[in-house]
Amino acid sequence: MTDARRPGGQPGGLTCDEVRDLAASYVLGALTDQEMDAVREHLADCPETHAEFAELGSVVPALDAAVPLMEPPTGLRDRIMAAAAADLDARRQADLPPVVVSEQPAQTDHVAAPAAAAEPIPIGRSRERRWTWVAGIAAVLAFVLLGAWNLSLQGQLDAAKGYQAQVASVLDAASQPGALTAVLSAPSGQGPNGIAAVTSDGKMRIAMRDLAPTAGDEVYETWMILPNTAPAPVGGFTVGASGSGFIEAGGVPAQPGLVLAVTREPRPGMTAPSSDPVSVGTTTSTANSTG
Amino acid sequence: MSESSGPLPLRVATVSDDADRAALERIARDELGALDELYERYKTMAYSIAYRITNDATLAEDVVQEAFLGVWRNATRYVQGRGSVKTWLLSIVHHRAIDAVRRRRSTVDLPERDDAPPPALRLPDVWGEVSSNLDADEVRAALASLSDVQREALELAYFGGLTQTEIAERTGTPLGTVKSRMRLGLLAMREMLSP
Repeated sequence: MTDARRPGGQPGGLTCDEVRDLAASYVLGALTDQEMDAVREHLADCPETHAEFAELGSVVPALDAAVPLMEPPTGLRDRIMAAAAADLDARRQADLPPVVVSEQPAQTDHVAAPAAAAEPIPIGRSRERRWTWVAGIAAVLAFVLLGAWNLSLQGQLDAAKGYQAQVASVLDAASQPGALTAVLSAPSGQGPNGIAAVTSDGKMRIAMRDLAPTAGDEVYETWMILPNTAPAPVGGFTVGASGSGFIEAGGVPAQPGLVLAVTREPRPGMTAPSSDPVSVGTTTSTANSTG
Repeated sequence: MSESSGPLPLRVATVSDDADRAALERIARDELGALDELYERYKTMAYSIAYRITNDATLAEDVVQEAFLGVWRNATRYVQGRGSVKTWLLSIVHHRAIDAVRRRRSTVDLPERDDAPPPALRLPDVWGEVSSNLDADEVRAALASLSDVQREALELAYFGGLTQTEIAERTGTPLGTVKSRMRLGLLAMREMLSP
């Protein structure tokens, strides 16, 4: 709305009295979009203070405290983290700047500080890379991930052909009834990542990329971690210059919430991880991961 | 009905908002762990608000997911002077939930309005800090002390996603009366919750 002033010159096409009359409805969100816009425009342009908006609006967030508390389903966290990881991956692969979409609560510059970019708060803390972190990683939006990967594949066709086939293989498993999927990502957010599927008969496929090549006896070992149990090895694989790796293994429980982790090990056959994971993810039901 | 004026005094400065702002800075640097941290801190409030508004577990999950993804993508848009991170986050949840119920109610599919600000005005600053320290029982008691019609008007507006006109139609009340009930209800709560 660029210029909705009345012929009489009232900002937003509303008089100050009309705006005061709408103040309570405005702060509660009980106006139509058009009315909200008109009030917002008036407040932005009006020389009067309109303190009633601050007075009434200040109460509104308190209403949230009256809501009966309910715990969200445990899978929601995984879905959110998976979606965020997929979003991050898509942005990085597309080499795009962060999506800038206004999520700013409706506030008027009249009664609140002028809009401005938030000042960064310097923080020197690095992220912890501990096994305890694995519970914080995500499951899946396989189709999003595949789409993002396809962007990068355009520039890396040689390496991509094999890798794309590996991803297709994982997605094929993921499409089976009762299959679980997991997105694996680096604890730092940037680094080795991949996608996994576990079918109802306990077969697992993982396609990984952006791994540093292995040398000598080194392998990447995949671990499964059930709640309150030590990591159990699933299988290892080596990685060449392409940076991608694939493994198919059996005996993996098709259980939501199973944490899958990949570590770099000095040799095959390790019975416990010797280092922090380079990439982790949590299985979730495919049916629940489309939101 | 008492109508106090002037800004509410700051009740207690929260320590957690510093941690929230730090988390938001890390989110702006694409640290997934920081999003996880923020989610763990506010998942219950966020889901409870979403469920209260949508009365639908699946829709509430979607709302919370959209809200946290909004935070993930727009952490740099948070403006400190406009209130606490908690207030900002929960206002996004509220906005998304209201949008969801309005879309569900509409016979015509409304477009997604990702770039639209939430309908409610969230003011900030002092109240953002104060409200974060309010006891739920205290707020419920304040709500319960309102007249039935005032409480109904506030709840239909804030949690029901109804416009003032829709509230008037639903309750068979003149529009001016609805406006008055909402205004007096808010002022009464403000008076009761002021330190």
